[in-house]
Amino acid sequence: MENPIWGNGIFRKKKKDSNIFVLLRQVPIFSELSPKELTEVEKIVHRRKYKKGEPVIRTGDPGLGMYIIVKGSVDIIEEDDKAGRRILAKLTDGAFFGDLALLDESPRSASAIALEESDIIGFFRPDFLDLIYRKPKLGIKVLFALARVIGERLRHANELLIKTQEEKDASR
Amino acid sequence: MDNYAFQLYSQILKTFWRVFLIILGLASLIFIFPYVKNVLIMFIIAWLLSMLLSPLVDFLESKGFGRSWAILTVMVLILVLLGFSFSLIIPGIIRTVESLTSKLQSDVITELSTKIENFFEKNFNNAELARNVTVKLNEIGVKLLVSLGEFFKNVGSFLASMVVVPFITFFLIKDARRFKKAIISTVPNKYFELSLNILHKVENQVGKYIQGQAIDALIVGILSTIGLFIINLVFDNSIPYFVFIGMLAGLANLIPYIGPVVGAIPALTLAILNNPPGLGMVLLWIVIVFIAVQAIDNYLVSPMVVSKSVNMHPLTVVVVVIIGGSIAGAMGMLFAVPFTGIIKVTSSQIIWGLKNYKLNSSSPLKENLSINTEGIEN
Repeated sequence: MENPIWGNGIFRKKKKDSNIFVLLRQVPIFSELSPKELTEVEKIVHRRKYKKGEPVIRTGDPGLGMYIIVKGSVDIIEEDDKAGRRILAKLTDGAFFGDLALLDESPRSASAIALEESDIIGFFRPDFLDLIYRKPKLGIKVLFALARVIGERLRHANELLIKTQEEKDASR
Repeated sequence: MDNYAFQLYSQILKTFWRVFLIILGLASLIFIFPYVKNVLIMFIIAWLLSMLLSPLVDFLESKGFGRSWAILTVMVLILVLLGFSFSLIIPGIIRTVESLTSKLQSDVITELSTKIENFFEKNFNNAELARNVTVKLNEIGVKLLVSLGEFFKNVGSFLASMVVVPFITFFLIKDARRFKKAIISTVPNKYFELSLNILHKVENQVGKYIQGQAIDALIVGILSTIGLFIINLVFDNSIPYFVFIGMLAGLANLIPYIGPVVGAIPALTLAILNNPPGLGMVLLWIVIVFIAVQAIDNYLVSPMVVSKSVNMHPLTVVVVVIIGGSIAGAMGMLFAVPFTGIIKVTSSQIIWGLKNYKLNSSSPLKENLSINTEGIEN
Protein backbone atom coordinates (compact mmCIF):
# COMPACT_ATOMS: atom_id res chain seq x y z
CA MET A 1 0.00 0.00 0.00
CA GLU A 2 1.30 3.44 -0.90
CA ASN A 3 1.97 5.65 2.09
CA PRO A 4 -0.83 8.26 2.17
CA ILE A 5 1.40 10.77 3.92
CA TRP A 6 4.42 10.65 1.61
CA GLY A 7 2.77 9.24 -1.53
CA ASN A 8 1.65 11.41 -4.45
CA GLY A 9 -1.98 12.06 -3.69
CA ILE A 10 -2.99 13.71 -6.97
CA PHE A 11 -1.15 12.02 -9.83
CA ARG A 12 -1.35 8.60 -8.32
CA LYS A 13 -1.69 5.51 -10.48
CA LYS A 14 -4.39 3.18 -9.21
CA LYS A 15 -2.67 -0.08 -8.39
CA LYS A 16 -4.60 -3.30 -8.04
CA ASP A 17 -3.43 -6.11 -5.84
CA SER A 18 -4.34 -8.92 -8.24
CA ASN A 19 -3.96 -11.51 -5.50
CA ILE A 20 -6.60 -9.93 -3.25
CA PHE A 21 -8.74 -9.06 -6.27
CA VAL A 22 -8.95 -12.72 -7.42
CA LEU A 23 -9.49 -13.90 -3.86
CA LEU A 24 -12.33 -11.45 -3.14
CA ARG A 25 -14.08 -12.65 -6.31
CA GLN A 26 -14.13 -16.20 -4.90
CA VAL A 27 -15.81 -15.14 -1.65
CA PRO A 28 -19.58 -15.80 -1.99
CA ILE A 29 -20.64 -12.40 -0.62
CA PHE A 30 -18.56 -10.60 -3.27
CA SER A 31 -19.19 -13.03 -6.15
CA GLU A 32 -21.78 -10.82 -7.89
CA LEU A 33 -19.66 -7.66 -7.91
CA SER A 34 -18.22 -6.13 -11.08
CA PRO A 35 -14.43 -5.53 -11.29
CA LYS A 36 -15.01 -1.82 -10.57
CA GLU A 37 -17.09 -2.65 -7.49
CA LEU A 38 -14.49 -5.15 -6.31
CA THR A 39 -11.90 -2.36 -6.50
CA GLU A 40 -14.07 -0.35 -4.08
CA VAL A 41 -14.13 -3.30 -1.67
CA GLU A 42 -10.39 -3.80 -2.08
CA LYS A 43 -9.85 -0.19 -0.94
CA ILE A 44 -11.52 -0.76 2.43
CA VAL A 45 -10.24 -4.20 3.46
CA HIS A 46 -7.35 -4.55 5.92
CA ARG A 47 -4.53 -6.99 5.20
CA ARG A 48 -2.77 -8.51 8.22
CA LYS A 49 -0.13 -11.13 8.88
CA TYR A 50 -0.52 -13.54 11.83
CA LYS A 51 2.17 -15.72 13.40
CA LYS A 52 1.66 -19.39 14.29
CA GLY A 53 -0.57 -19.67 17.37
CA GLU A 54 -1.68 -16.04 17.25
CA PRO A 55 -5.43 -15.43 17.78
CA VAL A 56 -7.26 -13.69 14.92
CA ILE A 57 -10.51 -13.41 16.90
CA ARG A 58 -11.30 -14.44 20.48
CA THR A 59 -14.51 -15.92 21.94
CA GLY A 60 -16.57 -13.25 23.71
CA ASP A 61 -14.96 -10.24 22.00
CA PRO A 62 -17.43 -7.87 20.30
CA GLY A 63 -17.88 -8.93 16.66
CA LEU A 64 -16.50 -6.41 14.19
CA GLY A 65 -16.33 -8.12 10.83
CA MET A 66 -15.29 -11.07 8.69
CA TYR A 67 -11.87 -12.45 7.74
CA ILE A 68 -10.74 -14.13 4.52
CA ILE A 69 -7.61 -16.30 4.47
CA VAL A 70 -5.30 -15.28 1.62
CA LYS A 71 -2.60 -17.79 2.53
CA GLY A 72 -2.20 -20.02 5.56
CA SER A 73 -4.57 -21.89 7.86
CA VAL A 74 -6.76 -21.17 10.85
CA ASP A 75 -8.44 -23.29 13.51
CA ILE A 76 -11.95 -22.34 14.56
CA ILE A 77 -12.18 -23.21 18.25
CA GLU A 78 -15.19 -23.32 20.52
CA GLU A 79 -14.43 -22.43 24.13
CA ASP A 80 -16.74 -23.56 26.89
CA ASP A 81 -16.22 -23.35 30.65
CA LYS A 82 -17.67 -26.84 31.22
CA ALA A 83 -16.83 -28.76 28.04
CA GLY A 84 -13.42 -27.18 27.56
CA ARG A 85 -12.10 -26.30 24.14
CA ARG A 86 -12.70 -28.14 20.90
CA ILE A 87 -11.78 -27.51 17.30
CA LEU A 88 -14.82 -26.96 15.10
CA ALA A 89 -13.02 -26.60 11.79
CA LYS A 90 -9.73 -26.04 10.09
CA LEU A 91 -9.85 -23.37 7.39
CA THR A 92 -7.28 -22.81 4.65
CA ASP A 93 -6.62 -20.53 1.63
CA GLY A 94 -9.73 -18.75 0.32
CA ALA A 95 -11.96 -19.70 3.30
CA PHE A 96 -13.76 -17.02 5.30
CA PHE A 97 -15.13 -16.74 8.84
CA GLY A 98 -16.83 -14.26 11.18
CA ASP A 99 -19.29 -13.06 8.53
CA LEU A 100 -22.19 -12.79 11.02
CA ALA A 101 -20.31 -9.93 12.69
CA LEU A 102 -21.02 -7.86 9.58
CA LEU A 103 -24.60 -7.61 10.85
CA ASP A 104 -24.21 -6.83 14.55
CA GLU A 105 -21.79 -6.48 17.45
CA SER A 106 -22.81 -9.74 19.23
CA PRO A 107 -19.90 -11.40 21.04
CA ARG A 108 -17.86 -13.88 18.96
CA SER A 109 -19.10 -17.46 19.53
CA ALA A 110 -15.73 -19.02 18.65
CA SER A 111 -12.06 -18.18 18.50
CA ALA A 112 -9.87 -18.33 15.40
CA ILE A 113 -6.20 -19.18 15.84
CA ALA A 114 -3.56 -19.11 13.10
CA LEU A 115 -2.04 -22.59 12.66
CA GLU A 116 0.94 -21.31 10.69
CA GLU A 117 2.17 -17.94 9.47
CA SER A 118 -0.99 -16.66 7.74
CA ASP A 119 -1.88 -13.80 5.44
CA ILE A 120 -5.46 -12.72 6.21
CA ILE A 121 -7.71 -9.88 5.06
CA GLY A 122 -10.46 -8.34 7.20
CA PHE A 123 -13.69 -6.73 6.02
CA PHE A 124 -15.39 -4.80 8.82
CA ARG A 125 -18.92 -3.67 9.65
CA PRO A 126 -18.28 0.10 9.95
CA ASP A 127 -16.58 0.14 6.54
CA PHE A 128 -19.40 -2.01 5.13
CA LEU A 129 -22.08 0.38 6.50
CA ASP A 130 -20.16 3.32 5.06
CA LEU A 131 -19.99 1.51 1.71
CA ILE A 132 -23.76 0.86 1.76
CA TYR A 133 -24.32 4.60 2.29
CA ARG A 134 -21.82 5.78 -0.32
CA LYS A 135 -22.42 3.06 -2.97
CA PRO A 136 -25.98 1.79 -2.35
CA LYS A 137 -26.08 -0.49 -5.45
CA LEU A 138 -22.87 -2.22 -4.41
CA GLY A 139 -24.01 -2.43 -0.79
CA ILE A 140 -27.32 -4.08 -1.72
CA LYS A 141 -25.51 -6.71 -3.82
CA VAL A 142 -23.26 -7.61 -0.86
CA LEU A 143 -26.19 -7.57 1.61
CA PHE A 144 -28.23 -9.93 -0.63
CA ALA A 145 -25.29 -12.29 -1.01
CA LEU A 146 -24.73 -12.21 2.77
CA ALA A 147 -28.42 -12.99 3.36
CA ARG A 148 -28.14 -15.91 0.93
CA VAL A 149 -25.08 -17.32 2.74
CA ILE A 150 -26.82 -17.04 6.12
CA GLY A 151 -30.02 -18.53 4.67
CA GLU A 152 -28.11 -21.53 3.34
CA ARG A 153 -26.43 -22.01 6.70
CA LEU A 154 -29.82 -21.87 8.45
CA ARG A 155 -31.25 -24.43 6.01
CA HIS A 156 -28.27 -26.70 6.66
CA ALA A 157 -28.70 -26.29 10.43
CA ASN A 158 -32.41 -27.15 10.12
CA GLU A 159 -31.61 -30.29 8.13
CA LEU A 160 -29.09 -31.36 10.78
CA LEU A 161 -31.65 -30.71 13.51
CA ILE A 162 -34.31 -32.79 11.75
CA LYS A 163 -31.79 -35.59 11.15
CA THR A 164 -30.76 -35.59 14.80
CA GLN A 165 -34.39 -35.58 15.91
CA GLU A 166 -35.18 -38.53 13.58
CA GLU A 167 -32.18 -40.48 14.92
CA LYS A 168 -33.33 -39.79 18.46
CA ASP A 169 -36.90 -40.95 17.64
CA ALA A 170 -35.61 -44.10 15.91
CA SER A 171 -33.46 -45.05 18.90
CA ARG A 172 -36.44 -44.91 21.28
CA MET B 1 24.04 -14.56 40.83
CA ASP B 2 26.17 -12.78 38.21
CA ASN B 3 23.55 -13.55 35.65
CA TYR B 4 20.86 -12.09 37.91
CA ALA B 5 22.91 -8.93 38.48
CA PHE B 6 23.44 -8.57 34.73
CA GLN B 7 19.68 -8.94 34.07
CA LEU B 8 18.88 -6.39 36.77
CA TYR B 9 21.48 -4.00 35.35
CA SER B 10 20.10 -4.28 31.81
CA GLN B 11 16.55 -3.80 33.14
CA ILE B 12 17.57 -0.62 34.97
CA LEU B 13 19.42 0.62 31.87
CA LYS B 14 16.37 -0.08 29.70
CA THR B 15 14.05 1.76 32.12
CA PHE B 16 16.49 4.68 32.31
CA TRP B 17 16.61 5.01 28.50
CA ARG B 18 12.82 4.76 28.29
CA VAL B 19 12.33 7.54 30.87
CA PHE B 20 15.08 9.61 29.23
CA LEU B 21 13.46 9.28 25.79
CA ILE B 22 10.01 10.20 27.16
CA ILE B 23 11.43 13.32 28.85
CA LEU B 24 13.38 14.19 25.67
CA GLY B 25 10.22 13.72 23.58
CA LEU B 26 8.15 15.92 25.90
CA ALA B 27 10.88 18.60 26.01
CA SER B 28 11.16 18.68 22.20
CA LEU B 29 7.36 18.85 21.93
CA ILE B 30 7.32 21.90 24.24
CA PHE B 31 10.23 23.41 22.27
CA ILE B 32 8.65 22.79 18.86
CA PHE B 33 5.07 23.75 19.85
CA PRO B 34 5.39 27.57 19.41
CA TYR B 35 6.79 27.04 15.89
CA VAL B 36 4.14 24.58 14.75
CA LYS B 37 1.22 26.07 16.68
CA ASN B 38 -0.29 27.85 13.66
CA VAL B 39 0.07 24.83 11.37
CA LEU B 40 -1.42 22.64 14.08
CA ILE B 41 -4.40 24.98 14.46
CA MET B 42 -4.89 24.96 10.67
CA PHE B 43 -4.84 21.15 10.65
CA ILE B 44 -7.34 21.01 13.51
CA ILE B 45 -9.69 23.42 11.72
CA ALA B 46 -9.31 21.40 8.50
CA TRP B 47 -10.04 18.19 10.38
CA LEU B 48 -13.17 19.71 11.97
CA LEU B 49 -14.27 20.91 8.53
CA SER B 50 -13.65 17.48 7.04
CA MET B 51 -15.87 15.97 9.75
CA LEU B 52 -18.51 18.55 8.95
CA LEU B 53 -18.45 18.17 5.18
CA SER B 54 -18.00 14.39 4.91
CA PRO B 55 -21.75 13.58 5.10
CA LEU B 56 -22.45 15.98 2.21
CA VAL B 57 -19.60 14.46 0.18
CA ASP B 58 -20.85 10.93 0.95
CA PHE B 59 -24.35 11.98 -0.12
CA LEU B 60 -23.09 13.29 -3.48
CA GLU B 61 -21.00 10.14 -3.90
CA SER B 62 -24.14 8.02 -3.36
CA LYS B 63 -25.73 9.99 -6.21
CA GLY B 64 -22.97 8.91 -8.59
CA PHE B 65 -20.32 11.64 -8.18
CA GLY B 66 -16.65 10.61 -8.01
CA ARG B 67 -15.23 11.32 -4.53
CA SER B 68 -12.87 14.11 -5.68
CA TRP B 69 -15.63 15.79 -7.69
CA ALA B 70 -18.04 15.47 -4.78
CA ILE B 71 -15.53 17.18 -2.44
CA LEU B 72 -14.81 19.94 -4.96
CA THR B 73 -18.53 20.57 -5.53
CA VAL B 74 -19.27 20.84 -1.80
CA MET B 75 -16.23 23.05 -1.16
CA VAL B 76 -16.93 25.39 -4.07
CA LEU B 77 -20.57 25.73 -2.97
CA ILE B 78 -19.53 26.56 0.58
CA LEU B 79 -16.79 28.96 -0.52
CA VAL B 80 -19.25 30.79 -2.78
CA LEU B 81 -21.75 30.98 0.08
CA LEU B 82 -19.12 32.22 2.54
CA GLY B 83 -17.67 34.68 0.00
CA PHE B 84 -21.13 36.09 -0.66
CA SER B 85 -21.87 36.43 3.07
CA PHE B 86 -18.49 38.05 3.80
CA SER B 87 -18.84 40.48 0.90
CA LEU B 88 -22.08 41.63 2.53
CA ILE B 89 -20.79 41.73 6.10
CA ILE B 90 -17.06 42.67 6.05
CA PRO B 91 -17.35 46.17 4.44
CA GLY B 92 -19.99 47.01 7.04
CA ILE B 93 -17.73 45.95 9.92
CA ILE B 94 -14.79 47.94 8.53
CA ARG B 95 -17.01 51.04 8.22
CA THR B 96 -18.24 50.61 11.82
CA VAL B 97 -14.71 50.23 13.20
CA GLU B 98 -13.49 53.24 11.17
CA SER B 99 -16.29 55.46 12.39
CA LEU B 100 -15.75 54.23 15.97
CA THR B 101 -12.01 54.93 15.75
CA SER B 102 -12.46 58.48 14.40
CA LYS B 103 -15.16 59.13 16.98
CA LEU B 104 -12.83 58.02 19.76
CA GLN B 105 -9.94 60.10 18.36
CA SER B 106 -11.85 63.31 17.73
CA ASP B 107 -14.59 63.61 20.29
CA VAL B 108 -14.11 61.42 23.29
CA ILE B 109 -10.36 61.75 23.96
CA THR B 110 -10.22 65.52 23.24
CA GLU B 111 -13.24 66.14 25.41
CA LEU B 112 -11.82 63.97 28.18
CA SER B 113 -8.39 65.68 27.98
CA THR B 114 -9.91 69.16 28.28
CA LYS B 115 -12.06 68.06 31.19
CA ILE B 116 -9.09 66.53 33.04
CA GLU B 117 -6.86 69.56 32.39
CA ASN B 118 -9.55 71.85 33.75
CA PHE B 119 -10.11 69.59 36.75
CA PHE B 120 -6.40 69.53 37.72
CA GLU B 121 -5.92 73.28 37.13
CA LYS B 122 -8.97 74.08 39.17
CA ASN B 123 -8.34 71.74 42.12
CA PHE B 124 -4.56 71.46 42.34
CA ASN B 125 -3.49 74.57 40.44
CA ASN B 126 -0.91 72.39 38.66
CA ALA B 127 -0.98 72.72 34.86
CA GLU B 128 2.10 70.49 34.38
CA LEU B 129 0.50 67.54 36.19
CA ALA B 130 -2.62 68.03 34.11
CA ARG B 131 -0.56 67.96 30.90
CA ASN B 132 1.26 64.79 32.03
CA VAL B 133 -2.03 63.04 32.70
CA THR B 134 -3.43 64.03 29.30
CA VAL B 135 -0.23 62.90 27.56
CA LYS B 136 -0.56 59.52 29.30
CA LEU B 137 -4.22 59.35 28.28
CA ASN B 138 -3.33 60.06 24.69
CA GLU B 139 -0.66 57.34 24.81
CA ILE B 140 -3.25 54.84 26.06
CA GLY B 141 -5.61 55.92 23.29
CA VAL B 142 -2.90 55.43 20.64
CA LYS B 143 -2.00 52.02 22.10
CA LEU B 144 -5.68 51.01 21.93
CA LEU B 145 -5.86 52.02 18.27
CA VAL B 146 -2.60 50.19 17.48
CA SER B 147 -3.90 47.01 19.10
CA LEU B 148 -7.09 47.40 17.05
CA GLY B 149 -4.88 47.58 13.94
CA GLU B 150 -2.99 44.45 15.10
CA PHE B 151 -6.29 42.68 15.47
CA PHE B 152 -7.09 43.41 11.83
CA LYS B 153 -3.62 42.22 10.79
CA ASN B 154 -4.47 38.94 12.55
CA VAL B 155 -7.73 38.86 10.63
CA GLY B 156 -5.60 39.17 7.47
CA SER B 157 -3.46 36.16 8.43
CA PHE B 158 -6.66 34.36 9.36
CA LEU B 159 -7.99 35.00 5.85
CA ALA B 160 -4.66 33.77 4.40
CA SER B 161 -4.99 30.56 6.38
CA MET B 162 -8.46 30.23 4.92
CA VAL B 163 -6.73 29.52 1.61
CA VAL B 164 -4.56 26.77 3.09
CA VAL B 165 -7.28 25.18 5.22
CA PRO B 166 -9.53 24.17 2.28
CA PHE B 167 -6.50 22.58 0.60
CA ILE B 168 -5.79 20.44 3.68
CA THR B 169 -9.51 19.73 4.12
CA PHE B 170 -9.75 18.40 0.54
CA PHE B 171 -7.10 15.75 1.16
CA LEU B 172 -8.35 14.90 4.64
CA ILE B 173 -11.76 14.04 3.14
CA LYS B 174 -10.42 12.38 0.01
CA ASP B 175 -7.86 10.15 1.70
CA ALA B 176 -9.49 9.69 5.12
CA ARG B 177 -9.80 5.92 4.65
CA ARG B 178 -6.20 5.58 3.47
CA PHE B 179 -4.92 7.59 6.45
CA LYS B 180 -6.97 5.41 8.77
CA LYS B 181 -5.68 2.22 7.14
CA ALA B 182 -2.10 3.46 7.38
CA ILE B 183 -2.51 4.27 11.08
CA ILE B 184 -4.24 1.00 11.92
CA SER B 185 -1.67 -1.06 9.98
CA THR B 186 0.94 -0.09 12.60
CA VAL B 187 -1.13 -1.54 15.47
CA PRO B 188 -0.10 -5.04 16.69
CA ASN B 189 -2.56 -7.88 15.92
CA LYS B 190 -3.51 -8.22 19.59
CA TYR B 191 -4.95 -4.69 19.67
CA PHE B 192 -6.06 -4.54 16.02
CA GLU B 193 -9.83 -5.15 16.38
CA LEU B 194 -9.97 -3.11 19.59
CA SER B 195 -8.24 -0.13 17.96
CA LEU B 196 -10.30 -0.35 14.79
CA ASN B 197 -13.54 -0.56 16.77
CA ILE B 198 -12.59 2.39 19.00
CA LEU B 199 -11.43 4.44 16.00
CA HIS B 200 -14.73 3.86 14.16
CA LYS B 201 -16.86 4.60 17.22
CA VAL B 202 -14.95 7.75 18.12
CA GLU B 203 -15.10 8.94 14.50
CA ASN B 204 -18.83 8.27 14.37
CA GLN B 205 -19.67 9.98 17.68
CA VAL B 206 -17.31 12.91 17.18
CA GLY B 207 -18.65 13.39 13.65
CA LYS B 208 -22.23 13.42 14.91
CA TYR B 209 -21.28 15.82 17.72
CA ILE B 210 -19.53 18.29 15.42
CA GLN B 211 -22.32 18.14 12.84
CA GLY B 212 -24.91 18.62 15.61
CA GLN B 213 -23.03 21.61 17.02
CA ALA B 214 -22.74 23.19 13.57
CA ILE B 215 -26.46 22.76 12.82
CA ASP B 216 -27.30 24.10 16.29
CA ALA B 217 -25.03 27.15 15.80
CA LEU B 218 -26.58 27.79 12.37
CA ILE B 219 -30.14 27.63 13.73
CA VAL B 220 -29.29 29.90 16.71
CA GLY B 221 -27.58 32.30 14.27
CA ILE B 222 -30.60 32.42 11.97
CA LEU B 223 -33.09 32.80 14.88
CA SER B 224 -31.00 35.61 16.44
CA THR B 225 -30.76 37.38 13.07
CA ILE B 226 -34.54 37.14 12.57
CA GLY B 227 -35.13 38.49 16.12
CA LEU B 228 -32.76 41.43 15.62
CA PHE B 229 -34.28 42.10 12.19
CA ILE B 230 -37.74 42.39 13.78
CA ILE B 231 -36.35 44.80 16.43
CA ASN B 232 -34.83 46.83 13.59
CA LEU B 233 -38.21 46.94 11.81
CA VAL B 234 -40.03 48.13 14.92
CA PHE B 235 -37.36 50.54 16.24
CA ASP B 236 -36.22 52.06 12.95
CA ASN B 237 -32.80 50.38 12.29
CA SER B 238 -31.58 50.65 15.86
CA ILE B 239 -29.05 47.79 15.56
CA PRO B 240 -26.56 48.10 12.69
CA TYR B 241 -25.15 44.94 10.99
CA PHE B 242 -27.67 42.68 12.67
CA VAL B 243 -26.87 39.80 10.26
CA PHE B 244 -23.25 39.77 11.44
CA ILE B 245 -24.28 40.03 15.10
CA GLY B 246 -26.81 37.22 14.67
CA MET B 247 -24.22 34.94 13.08
CA LEU B 248 -21.71 35.85 15.80
CA ALA B 249 -24.29 34.80 18.38
CA GLY B 250 -24.64 31.47 16.56
CA LEU B 251 -20.87 30.97 16.65
CA ALA B 252 -20.65 31.96 20.32
CA ASN B 253 -23.32 29.35 21.03
CA LEU B 254 -20.61 26.70 20.53
CA ILE B 255 -19.54 27.58 24.08
CA PRO B 256 -22.26 26.34 26.44
CA TYR B 257 -23.39 28.57 29.34
CA ILE B 258 -20.96 31.39 28.43
CA GLY B 259 -21.75 31.60 24.69
CA PRO B 260 -25.32 32.94 24.90
CA VAL B 261 -24.16 35.85 27.13
CA VAL B 262 -21.18 36.57 24.89
CA GLY B 263 -23.50 36.45 21.87
CA ALA B 264 -25.78 39.17 23.26
CA ILE B 265 -22.98 41.63 24.17
CA PRO B 266 -22.15 42.85 20.61
CA ALA B 267 -25.85 43.53 19.92
CA LEU B 268 -26.23 45.52 23.17
CA THR B 269 -22.95 47.43 22.62
CA LEU B 270 -23.78 48.42 19.04
CA ALA B 271 -27.26 49.49 20.05
CA ILE B 272 -25.80 51.70 22.86
CA LEU B 273 -23.21 53.22 20.49
CA ASN B 274 -25.91 53.83 17.86
CA ASN B 275 -28.03 55.51 20.60
CA PRO B 276 -31.43 55.27 18.87
CA PRO B 277 -34.59 56.89 20.32
CA GLY B 278 -36.10 54.63 22.97
CA LEU B 279 -32.75 52.97 23.73
CA GLY B 280 -34.06 51.39 26.94
CA MET B 281 -36.82 49.52 25.08
CA VAL B 282 -34.39 48.42 22.34
CA LEU B 283 -32.00 46.98 24.95
CA LEU B 284 -34.88 45.23 26.71
CA TRP B 285 -36.07 43.67 23.43
CA ILE B 286 -32.53 42.54 22.57
CA VAL B 287 -32.34 40.72 25.92
CA ILE B 288 -35.82 39.21 25.35
CA VAL B 289 -34.82 38.03 21.84
CA PHE B 290 -31.66 36.33 23.12
CA ILE B 291 -33.51 34.68 26.03
CA ALA B 292 -36.23 33.45 23.63
CA VAL B 293 -33.63 32.09 21.18
CA GLN B 294 -31.89 30.27 24.04
CA ALA B 295 -35.21 28.81 25.23
CA ILE B 296 -36.00 27.53 21.71
CA ASP B 297 -32.46 26.16 21.41
CA ASN B 298 -32.46 24.42 24.80
CA TYR B 299 -35.93 22.86 24.56
CA LEU B 300 -36.38 22.23 20.84
CA VAL B 301 -33.23 22.39 18.71
CA SER B 302 -30.46 21.09 20.98
CA PRO B 303 -32.22 17.89 22.12
CA MET B 304 -32.79 16.95 18.48
CA VAL B 305 -29.46 17.75 16.88
CA VAL B 306 -26.72 17.74 19.53
CA SER B 307 -25.31 14.41 20.71
CA LYS B 308 -25.97 13.57 24.36
CA SER B 309 -22.66 11.73 24.72
CA VAL B 310 -20.70 14.88 25.54
CA ASN B 311 -22.72 16.53 28.31
CA MET B 312 -20.36 18.56 30.48
CA HIS B 313 -20.48 20.14 33.93
CA PRO B 314 -20.63 23.98 33.84
CA LEU B 315 -17.41 24.16 35.88
CA THR B 316 -15.60 21.95 33.34
CA VAL B 317 -16.83 24.24 30.56
CA VAL B 318 -15.51 27.37 32.29
CA VAL B 319 -12.11 25.78 33.03
CA VAL B 320 -11.59 24.41 29.49
CA VAL B 321 -12.67 27.72 27.91
CA ILE B 322 -10.06 29.58 30.01
CA ILE B 323 -7.36 27.00 29.08
CA GLY B 324 -8.38 27.17 25.39
CA GLY B 325 -8.18 30.96 25.50
CA SER B 326 -4.67 30.93 26.99
CA ILE B 327 -3.44 28.44 24.35
CA ALA B 328 -4.99 29.81 21.16
CA GLY B 329 -6.88 33.02 21.97
CA ALA B 330 -10.45 33.49 20.74
CA MET B 331 -10.21 30.43 18.46
CA GLY B 332 -9.05 28.38 21.41
CA MET B 333 -12.01 29.55 23.49
CA LEU B 334 -14.38 28.67 20.67
CA PHE B 335 -13.01 25.17 20.09
CA ALA B 336 -12.15 24.30 23.72
CA VAL B 337 -15.53 22.71 24.48
CA PRO B 338 -15.81 20.67 21.24
CA PHE B 339 -12.27 19.40 21.83
CA THR B 340 -12.97 18.45 25.40
CA GLY B 341 -16.04 16.66 24.06
CA ILE B 342 -13.83 14.73 21.64
CA ILE B 343 -11.43 13.76 24.45
CA LYS B 344 -14.38 12.67 26.61
CA VAL B 345 -15.87 10.50 23.84
CA THR B 346 -12.47 8.99 23.02
CA SER B 347 -11.64 8.10 26.62
CA SER B 348 -15.09 6.59 27.25
CA GLN B 349 -14.70 4.44 24.11
CA ILE B 350 -11.23 3.31 25.16
CA ILE B 351 -12.62 2.28 28.57
CA TRP B 352 -15.47 0.42 26.80
CA GLY B 353 -12.97 -1.37 24.57
CA LEU B 354 -10.68 -2.38 27.44
CA LYS B 355 -13.69 -3.76 29.36
CA ASN B 356 -15.11 -5.77 26.45
CA TYR B 357 -12.02 -7.15 24.70
CA LYS B 358 -10.18 -10.02 26.38
CA LEU B 359 -6.68 -8.76 25.79
CA ASN B 360 -4.97 -10.85 28.45
CA SER B 361 -6.58 -14.24 27.77
CA SER B 362 -4.12 -17.04 26.96
CA SER B 363 -3.93 -18.63 23.52
CA PRO B 364 -6.29 -21.65 23.28
CA LEU B 365 -3.56 -23.56 21.43
CA LYS B 366 -1.59 -23.87 24.63
CA GLU B 367 -4.19 -26.21 26.10
CA ASN B 368 -5.42 -29.63 25.05
CA LEU B 369 -8.12 -29.60 22.42
CA SER B 370 -10.77 -32.11 21.42
CA ILE B 371 -11.52 -32.26 17.70
CA ASN B 372 -14.94 -31.94 16.12
CA THR B 373 -15.21 -30.89 12.51
CA GLU B 374 -18.93 -31.40 11.97
CA GLY B 375 -19.95 -27.77 11.94
CA ILE B 376 -18.55 -24.26 11.95
CA GLU B 377 -19.90 -21.47 14.05
CA ASN B 378 -18.66 -17.96 13.73
